[in-house]
Amino acid sequence: MIKNSFYLLLIVSSMIHANSLYEFESLEDEKRFYSLIKEVRCPKCTSGSLASSNAPVSEDIKQKIIELIKEGKTDREIKDFLSFRFGNDVLYNPGFNESTYFLWITPVVFLTLCLLVFLFRRKS
Amino acid sequence: MLIEIAHFLSILSTGLFLLCFLFSFILDAKDIFAVNLISRIYSRGFLLLISSFMIYVWLAANDNFNVLYIAQHSNTNLPLFYKISSIWSAHEGSMFLWIVFLGLWGAVYNSFVSNSQPLKAKSIGIISIIAVGFLLFLLLTSNPFETILPIAPFNGADINPVLQDPALAIHPPILYLGYVGFVIAFSHAIAFLITGDSSIKWENLVRSWSVVSWVFLTIGISLGSWWAYYELGWGGYWFWDPVENVALMPWLAATAFIHSLRVSSKSSLLRIWTILLSIIVFSLSLFGAFIVRSGIIDSVHSFANDPERGLYLLGFTGFLIITSMILFSFRLPILSSNKTIAALSKESFISINNIIFGTLIFSTMLGILYPLIYEFLYEQKISVGAPFYNAIYIPTTILACLFLFFSIDSKWQRGFKKSFLVTPMFISVILSIASTFVTYYLLLITDLWILISIFTGSLIIFRYLIVVKDYFLNNKYSNPFSIIAHLGLGILVISIALNSELSTERALNIKMNESDMYRDYKITFDDLRLIKRSNYDSVRASFLLTGPDGKNIELSPEKRKYFARGQVTTETAIHLTPLKDIYMTIGDQLDDGSWIVNIQFNYFIRWIWFSAIMMALGGSMLALSLVRSKQ
Amino acid sequence: MNIFIRLILILIPIIFFSFFYLYINDDDYYPGADFRVIDMPKFEINDLYKDQRFTHLDLEGSYLINVWASWCITCRVEHGFLQKLSDQNIPIVGLNYKDDKEDALNWINKFGDPYKFIIHDLKGRLALDMGVTGAPETFLLHNGKIIVHYRGEVNKMIWNDVFIPIINKEDIFNND
Repeated sequence: MIKNSFYLLLIVSSMIHANSLYEFESLEDEKRFYSLIKEVRCPKCTSGSLASSNAPVSEDIKQKIIELIKEGKTDREIKDFLSFRFGNDVLYNPGFNESTYFLWITPVVFLTLCLLVFLFRRKS
Repeated sequence: MLIEIAHFLSILSTGLFLLCFLFSFILDAKDIFAVNLISRIYSRGFLLLISSFMIYVWLAANDNFNVLYIAQHSNTNLPLFYKISSIWSAHEGSMFLWIVFLGLWGAVYNSFVSNSQPLKAKSIGIISIIAVGFLLFLLLTSNPFETILPIAPFNGADINPVLQDPALAIHPPILYLGYVGFVIAFSHAIAFLITGDSSIKWENLVRSWSVVSWVFLTIGISLGSWWAYYELGWGGYWFWDPVENVALMPWLAATAFIHSLRVSSKSSLLRIWTILLSIIVFSLSLFGAFIVRSGIIDSVHSFANDPERGLYLLGFTGFLIITSMILFSFRLPILSSNKTIAALSKESFISINNIIFGTLIFSTMLGILYPLIYEFLYEQKISVGAPFYNAIYIPTTILACLFLFFSIDSKWQRGFKKSFLVTPMFISVILSIASTFVTYYLLLITDLWILISIFTGSLIIFRYLIVVKDYFLNNKYSNPFSIIAHLGLGILVISIALNSELSTERALNIKMNESDMYRDYKITFDDLRLIKRSNYDSVRASFLLTGPDGKNIELSPEKRKYFARGQVTTETAIHLTPLKDIYMTIGDQLDDGSWIVNIQFNYFIRWIWFSAIMMALGGSMLALSLVRSKQ
Repeated sequence: MNIFIRLILILIPIIFFSFFYLYINDDDYYPGADFRVIDMPKFEINDLYKDQRFTHLDLEGSYLINVWASWCITCRVEHGFLQKLSDQNIPIVGLNYKDDKEDALNWINKFGDPYKFIIHDLKGRLALDMGVTGAPETFLLHNGKIIVHYRGEVNKMIWNDVFIPIINKEDIFNND
């Protein structure tokens, strides 16, 4: 029995930091958390969100997010907090600002232009 | 030594393919003796290639660790199936497989298609030169035939445990078969453009080949998604990972292509679109190969970052695509049709479909490239992920589905019947509004986009159900492949919407022999044991779930530590019900002895893959009917 | 009109592939280097050796802050270079990240101490505030602001290509 616990400890302690408890004050908070961690990139992994990572730094960031949710911070404030410390690329939504207008608008322009060309070429 | 023979055979086959290409362009394609010669050279070339590959498979199956690649990726303890699948687990071997499949498609085509087919010689030639390009890439920069001499290692490195999985083992071959299959369409398109004879109906020559390739792609992508779901432990099925996106784009282009092909083979309309799409599909497949293997985009899929390989692939892929586009734009006049597309005809809807799919491809490409461009210009990093792709795909797919709905009642080369208010369309609309209200009241869903998705999916499903009713009761013929595949699409849209809205998860904290409640289920932690296997140790936690209906479910997730690389993996435990999956994994043990237990309810997730199977089924049936009727 | 369309069809792939060619050949960019300027977070943490408390006020002027741990293998490799920097009178402060105190002290005793002082960030809270994702990472602190954040091992090449240009530009460490 003791030997088994020893093995358990070996396996578990190979992850340096415990996959710790997520405690929320409301269902709403829990939902916000699970939704947020899908939009935040794991800063240490090659690719993937916090939701799909159990790297130690991911766990730390998740705990911090829970803390911030408890403090009453909005989603925007939490995202700003993280991008301030880890860089803009930690957010999967690059935002809608001058350097990203092109990203969001071109698909719409592309679709509209093609449809218009199609409609007008048929008329002529 | 066998490996040297295999190496030599690959070199010889490269030579023969080169010869085949040269002959196909020098000799007169109208001379039947020339075509016979070209065909024979190709089949000899392929014979050498497949022999080389078979030797390689034999060496892998027999643990020949003199071969560097086999030593790096295989191991004596692996079952035979995984010894062989380890061949395509990394760069050199998977490139080899890709080339073999490319040659294979050409070889099957070569055997089944008569030498009197006007485009055959040039098409075989084009397939050959593409094979040559990739073979040179393989032999010069990514040689799988490298050896460790004189003494082989005692045993190979252990394969990544995550790859020792049946679904993941067959996912690359099926996907590759899909990608390279479009070389048939591509080579015919190019051959057609070169000959410049607009009376040749190349479209009719490639339909069955293209549809079969599309089916492989559909299945391959679904397999990857399904595997990721049950293996990785996060419960997601699509991550908008760059390499997933790069696999999705050829599929989008292929779907648009087979629809456009239908029109062009029937009439002279949309020929420009169809040719362009055939170039785009294959180009995107090549581009995908380039992106994954050059390592310039970070992804969990990417192989080693190697600029030399990247540059070669870039150059070769670029050469193929740029010359194709030059040829295409040069021959634009011969493709124009003097017929106009009738308003609200099926052809017009398929044109619009091409535009919509083109937008999706364009947006996905933009999303993949934007971080690179941004980094190049501003030397800063950004990420483009799910929020962007969801924002683009959801409205666009809904738009496509709406157009599909209208297209069901459209006719070939003429417009709509005006009196549609008393027709099935109207009935479908009513039924769909009803079903949307049902979800609104019963499932308490208020998200507007989810409701729109359900409405749109229902439109398609109800309309096609009426088509099925007419088929059996009123003997009104309708294309059965289209019915099945599009029903699949309707189910896909609704399943994705419901899955994203209804699924929930929680991280519970339970001590041994205690229980907790989650959504009317009582979860009791009733066993914890240590399991020792030859290559890993595992902690298995067993839980008894008692549902609101009183039924008992036993789930046993595990955490495994593999010895060779010290890797820890989670094994999920999943319980399937018709409407949802109950999905559990275990986290770590806390200081007070309790365990973190992750539980998810994933609604309608099986329906998502079921709908993909339906689409693949529709495609397979179509392919079968095309093969039977045409050739 | 027709010629225009044809030209576009050919130009698009050419531009596309040229971009990739340039991108692949663009060598000088170090992905681990972050030059965004942010304020050094306020903190109050124990020293590793004794129970002396250090705060952000102890970091006036210019310092290197090196994130390390006894469980970090790369840190051992980096250690030699840090010792060299320390010998050149470059002030380095150690941030012991998520490490057991005993293990950290043993590590220092075994390999040497290049640091002016070491703060013991057991839970990694300060590290999180600084945007640390693991070890080793090195920060250049100047007048209360982080001006360089490098993720990864600092060796001669990285020091010369990433840190020196900024050090020269801001004229830091000119007392040696």
